[in-house]
Amino acid sequence: MDAFFASVEQRDHPEWRGLPIAVGGGGRRGVVAAASYEARKFGVRSAMPGFKAKLLCPQLVFVPHRFGVYKEVSQQIRAIFYEYTDLVEPLSLDEAYLDVTEPKKGKPSATLIAQEIRQRIFETTQLTASAGVSFNKFIAKIASDINKPNGQKVITPTEAAAFIEALPIEKFFGIGKVTAKKMHQMGIFSGSDLKQYSKLELSQWFGKAGRHFYKIVRAEDDRKVNPNRIRKSIGAERTFGENLVEIHQMKEKLHPIIETVYKYMHTTDNFGRTVTLKAKRADFTQITRSKSFASEIITKTDLVDIVFELLENNKQELEQIRLLGVSISNLQNEHQVEGTGIQLKFEF
Amino acid sequence: MKFSISSSELLKHLQIANGAIGSNPVLPILEDFLFTIEDNQLTIAATDLETSITTTVDVMSDSNGTVAIPAKILLETLKALPQQPITVDINEENYGIQITSAYGKYKLAGENGQEFPTIPEADGVDHLSMQSASLNQGISKTLFATSSDELRPAMTGVYFQVDKNKITFVATDAHKLVKYTFTEVSSDVTTTFIVPKKALNLLKGVLPNGGEVKMSFNKSNAFFEFDGILLVCRLIDARYPDYNAVIPVDNPNVLSIGRSDFQNSLKRIAIYANKTTNQVILNINNSNVTISAQDLDFSNEATEQLSCSYEGDPLTIGFNAKFLVEMLGVLESDDVKIELSTPTRAGILLPTDAVEGEEILMLVMPVMLSN
Repeated sequence: MDAFFASVEQRDHPEWRGLPIAVGGGGRRGVVAAASYEARKFGVRSAMPGFKAKLLCPQLVFVPHRFGVYKEVSQQIRAIFYEYTDLVEPLSLDEAYLDVTEPKKGKPSATLIAQEIRQRIFETTQLTASAGVSFNKFIAKIASDINKPNGQKVITPTEAAAFIEALPIEKFFGIGKVTAKKMHQMGIFSGSDLKQYSKLELSQWFGKAGRHFYKIVRAEDDRKVNPNRIRKSIGAERTFGENLVEIHQMKEKLHPIIETVYKYMHTTDNFGRTVTLKAKRADFTQITRSKSFASEIITKTDLVDIVFELLENNKQELEQIRLLGVSISNLQNEHQVEGTGIQLKFEF
Repeated sequence: MKFSISSSELLKHLQIANGAIGSNPVLPILEDFLFTIEDNQLTIAATDLETSITTTVDVMSDSNGTVAIPAKILLETLKALPQQPITVDINEENYGIQITSAYGKYKLAGENGQEFPTIPEADGVDHLSMQSASLNQGISKTLFATSSDELRPAMTGVYFQVDKNKITFVATDAHKLVKYTFTEVSSDVTTTFIVPKKALNLLKGVLPNGGEVKMSFNKSNAFFEFDGILLVCRLIDARYPDYNAVIPVDNPNVLSIGRSDFQNSLKRIAIYANKTTNQVILNINNSNVTISAQDLDFSNEATEQLSCSYEGDPLTIGFNAKFLVEMLGVLESDDVKIELSTPTRAGILLPTDAVEGEEILMLVMPVMLSN
């Protein structure tokens, strides 16, 4: 979806159409969740602190988010996807991979199906969507950005090599800021630079990810569209109106966060062995501290004790805290290594 | 206060006590040894508040007294000295310490010995005696199976079950379990307690090959005394899981196999298994067992076949190779017996030849294979 949250707001509030708007980020210390295309022209981006966005674009209109509505729209578009295929792998509320090799309906052409789906989305939601069509996930994902907004791009196997070679490496899906910086230092700026390195060299520098880079730069990506994508972590976080200074205040604020994580663990029946505490300071620097255990954390008392221990052990570093978060990772179902079974336990 | 002793004799005792000193002490004084001199006997103590070791050695001294001496600097000094008599001179006003060797003088700052934490004493508690070698066996055969899961503290130690004439050691991490029983002990009482891993590791390192160990215990501590050494540890205050309930009573499929052949085969096959799961598959039929593993990430795979004797239905079952290798490693008999039921139920591992006066039983949970 194009500028998803912002477009929903502009659809439902005609007075905001054509204006630079930001969803979220309005409070004294909020962060922009989405920016309309008008706002993006000024350099406003999602995850940017509200005050910074305001500096870039003084006429920016901050609008509160309505997650309930976005979720509804998300369900509407997913319903459309499922009419064409069951192989839908959502990446977020407004983005998904679809495998339409054997579509449930429509012509057996990915290009035509993409067009039809985008048309249907517009008719149902009055919102525009963009699509990338290609022969694997990696290229399709990158292609989807090329003719945004309200467009689509097809990359055929014969075009793929030249396309990837010309692609700046920061545009590669899966290469974030840190990896991009490391690559720049190595003199890698585009796909063709990356292609010069051997599999061995890339694995030495980037580990398992290196092997992935080696493959994708050659347009090889055999990852299947996975309708049951495995979740890697469960977490919740809150930004506070006032900076927290005292440990007891932080503990008080952590209780509802822990409660959210705990409930989610139990409702989804998904437990993990690692607990991470995240804290962001007033200057936006952040620390994360984790502790891992030999078995999954199940009870709330354990979770609270572990989070508080992480807090106590790092209290020297915790001053003027604007955000706290708790997450659980090393989830049990993530360890399902392909082709291997589950280690059973005694039932004590 | 002043005393003389052989440098190597002192070093030997310090190294025993040093095991109790924690890596990250909560109080600075816990980085020290406590020296107490009484009637030409030096008692050296060290503690991390959970586990304490005291050892006694004869010295020549001019008076009685006590002082805490920084452990690290003292140990380093003694390690760097060739064997020779040394003199340690303690200023009882400011706890300054001066060591005199044949080469020169070394000064360091001590602390008031009165501030050193009190080490619990075995007062009016129950006790039993057993051979040092037997206790060592009990620890060595079970310690590897303890858990490191802080969320289930009971399983991070070895469970001691003391009866009038036998003692049973149990350890489990919920995946594997060892139960080792030793008869030929004499105890006043019947009791159970859980001894933490760290204390047992220390004990294993200092137990002599021969002689007796006197064990005493009360509600919160266990005491092990031998050769002028006393190891005291705080017991784990938790309920031990009902392990008897998970020992299967009817495992009809029985595999008998040469212990070291099986272990060596597993070691080789495990090299080709996935490194996080160490999964190996045993395919067992009448006269042989096929052991195989694969790692899809690296396209590694390996298979071996061993002859065995087997009574039961053909069975395909998965295990963590590391567990099996460790468990086979603590057994001594030439052949072992593995009793199985289904691919998702615990297997029992037993030695074929029992050792007089002892009994060992191990359990291991399988890996449930996908497809």
